[in-house]
Amino acid sequence: MSLATLLEQYGEEYLIALLTTWKLTAIAFSAAFVIGILVTVMRVSPVKPLRVFAEIYVQIFRNISGAALLILLVYALPYLNMMFSYFTCVIIATTLIPSAFCSEYLMSGINTIDVGQIEAARALGLNFTELVRSIVIPQALRSSVIPLTNLLVSTMLTTALASQVPMDPRELTGLVSHINTHAVGGVVAFFVSAFLYCITAVVIGQVGLRIDRRVRILR
Amino acid sequence: MEENIIELKNVEKYFGTLHVLNNINLSVKRGEVVVIIGPSGSGKSTLCRTVNRLETIDSGEIFIDGELMPEEGQELARIRSEVGMVFQSFNLFAHMTILDNVTLAPRTVRKIPKAQAEKEAMELLKRVGIESQAGKVPAQLSGGQQQRAAIARALAMHPKAMLFDEPTSALDPEMINEVLDAMAELARDGMTMMIVTHEMNFARRVADRVIFMDQGQIIEESTPDKFFDAPGTKRARDFLSSIRTQ
Repeated sequence: MSLATLLEQYGEEYLIALLTTWKLTAIAFSAAFVIGILVTVMRVSPVKPLRVFAEIYVQIFRNISGAALLILLVYALPYLNMMFSYFTCVIIATTLIPSAFCSEYLMSGINTIDVGQIEAARALGLNFTELVRSIVIPQALRSSVIPLTNLLVSTMLTTALASQVPMDPRELTGLVSHINTHAVGGVVAFFVSAFLYCITAVVIGQVGLRIDRRVRILR
Repeated sequence: MEENIIELKNVEKYFGTLHVLNNINLSVKRGEVVVIIGPSGSGKSTLCRTVNRLETIDSGEIFIDGELMPEEGQELARIRSEVGMVFQSFNLFAHMTILDNVTLAPRTVRKIPKAQAEKEAMELLKRVGIESQAGKVPAQLSGGQQQRAAIARALAMHPKAMLFDEPTSALDPEMINEVLDAMAELARDGMTMMIVTHEMNFARRVADRVIFMDQGQIIEESTPDKFFDAPGTKRARDFLSSIRTQ
């Protein structure tokens, strides 16, 4: 199938698929970002059970394969009387894994903070919550813009997992599988999706660079 | 009102087998300037950091204005907020402007409205001579300016006492005086101060009392003139002669 025929037949579906990929990515990354911050705060908290819980959380979701997690969510949870839509399952899988990586990046951001600044904040009478909110998380975020940008790109690529379940509407990879099952889209169908992923990733990367330049901490 | 703003009773601290603070009993009266000197490794910095419990202790008690400092918790944070601290390496918050560095604690700990906190902060920055730097971040300032900003940040909490942990040791020589001048002015204004320093001329000029430490112990305690002219112990004499021959 030529590119022209492909786009003529499936152009609109590609558009829907691109928007679906963006939507999955936006929801999953936002959730992963919030969870990642919460888990990171637990990891540096003075409460040991919270630290242990957060460490285990990160170890599990950093090390599980996305496909395995999605299969568990889709096929195992119903046995526990928990049924989610395919869309929700994909969101959960593509949230949990990046949230663990988000926490790892923030932890390495925290490691760049001079311990003297923490002591200064303590000496001024800031408690743990105030210290985390005013010093630790802001500095960790500012020094992790580039890794978090990469995480956003990889979260987008992870949403391709949705192609493994019959989610409706389809995202970019699911659409390629669909085209190649029902017609002979061939490699061109892959290229169109790949191109759309690439364009999105390049835009994300550029925006990330600009944010990094604006918020980077002078040392 | 308590006479003693800072009081340490029978404070002991070990780093493993090293006895870094050996039965420290020390008090600083309201408005008094106490300078702690001693060879490196004598425990003087540790002592200074112990006062607001940035260092843990193994036994003993620490009182600030008559209140016993607990080991941790909100009460510790509250008492700490009443003791200003200035560090060797400035420790300004790198992601904030100088103005935000100064207003952070008044706003978050004392809940002072932003406009009022900023007005006071600008007055303090003016007092230490760096009001024109208010909008910059720490890395854009010289070491001397950063240390003066750190002094303003501590003063913004209206502390009952100020601790200085070798405030000029990380500075280039030409910047030491601007920091010492700011400290001397504070002392003239009646601030209660505990200062760890190697600046002997400054100590002699500003201190009401000099404490000489060695190997975790307070060896000698006297007026600056007496200490520098006629130290009472051999260890103090050795220390003073070793720095004078440098």
